[in-house]
Amino acid sequence: MAWRFLLATVLGGMCYLDRTAACQLMLHRPLVVATLMGAIFGNLFAGAQVGVVLELIYLARLPVGASIPPDDTGAAVFGGSAAAVASSSVGLDAASFTGLLLLSVFVAETGKLADRFVRKINVRIARLTAESVDRGDARAVEHGLLAGLTLFAVMGAVLALVFSGAGVAVSKGLLPMFGPASRGNFASLLPALPLLGAASVYSCSRTERTAAVFFLTMAAVFGATVIFRWTG
Amino acid sequence: MPPLTTRARRAVWLRQFLLQGCWNYEGMQNVGFAYAILPALREFYSNRPEEGLKAVKRHLEFFNTQPAMGAVILGAAVRLEERVASEEADPRAIGTFKVGLMGSLGAIGDSFFWGALRPMASVAGVLLAMLHPLLGIGALLLLYNGAHLAIRWRGFTAGMEGPEGAVGWLKGAALNVRTDDRKLLSAILGGAYAGVFAGRFAVQGGGAFHALAWFLFSAAAVHLFSVLLRKAVSPSEILSFLLFVGVLILWR
Repeated sequence: MAWRFLLATVLGGMCYLDRTAACQLMLHRPLVVATLMGAIFGNLFAGAQVGVVLELIYLARLPVGASIPPDDTGAAVFGGSAAAVASSSVGLDAASFTGLLLLSVFVAETGKLADRFVRKINVRIARLTAESVDRGDARAVEHGLLAGLTLFAVMGAVLALVFSGAGVAVSKGLLPMFGPASRGNFASLLPALPLLGAASVYSCSRTERTAAVFFLTMAAVFGATVIFRWTG
Repeated sequence: MPPLTTRARRAVWLRQFLLQGCWNYEGMQNVGFAYAILPALREFYSNRPEEGLKAVKRHLEFFNTQPAMGAVILGAAVRLEERVASEEADPRAIGTFKVGLMGSLGAIGDSFFWGALRPMASVAGVLLAMLHPLLGIGALLLLYNGAHLAIRWRGFTAGMEGPEGAVGWLKGAALNVRTDDRKLLSAILGGAYAGVFAGRFAVQGGGAFHALAWFLFSAAAVHLFSVLLRKAVSPSEILSFLLFVGVLILWR
């Protein structure tokens, strides 16, 4: 298990770097991260299931200006690792799946706080950089950037380790505490989660024609899915 | 003044990917911008270290824009610095140019990248991930980065032709039209995603009436959630509420 956590820390840290500090190539998106964590903890497909739902839920919160959206990368680290471990222990039934997705909200908010903390420390780094440049050291810019980047990377690696650990702990410790009957009731909340994701996309893509296009497509695909299920 | 060497130009291009490397609440992307333009400044002021230092200080002023759109401003700032170094332009023009462009480019970039391209790539990736996760991830990364890297590259190249080139490119790129197109595509794909999941949860064998009722309920739920999201209710708050309901269910 130790090598899995090591891998989760390194790869999770790299995904976190992509989130703010470097590149923004979307390697930090929940679909990518949850699938990756699923693969690391033994079940790629279970991780991907979490990623499919989490990917869209937080889309409506944009990283604009100084606003920091909830940490959906962290939620994916937690959810992906938890789902993979649960699938090989208590089983990833609808109720466990719903529970993991809902619990990921704490992770998303904790990650947001950590991000804010790093950005506050970076204020100090930026000031020191400016002071060094005032004293005639232009290389301080490179050192300052490296310090900021290192801070983001360390934060990402620590969060990836803590959140994957929390995911494994929840799957091994918390989920088995609830019997199948009580868990079954919990599953009734599951349909709300993908619909929240769809609402997130809908509210992002506001144009004059959005409402008509969105709901007509929804109706057509819903009809096709229901007919396919009935006949298939 | 000899033109910027290919090596320095490549270094500036690569360093722009770290524009947010030291993002902070005071100067925001200031350290990242100064870091990115440093290789060019070293060449322009190689024989005048005092002026080079002043140039570095100029770029440690507050700066914040959408990171991918920063490439246009960076390219144009390099060209302006070249003109300043050869005494063809006033150094104050650089600050004015950056401040003038970062707000509007930030707004255009936020709307295009975060409001249109990312949702479109995400929902396309998610739909394909239902067939196979790797297919979905591939689609997400290709759809997003195809446009993202092309805009970074074209923006930087246009910026290197000077502020006039940057403005000309921005007009030609018609990002507002592209934003609307991608938003519409996102709405179509988002509708398909909602339809697939609502269909999956429809009661099997429940009859047409049940299916219609479930569809109307799902559509109403999407509408309600979107109203809440537009009223700045965080998805975390909605999920916390659902978790609270879930705990009540377990307690009973």
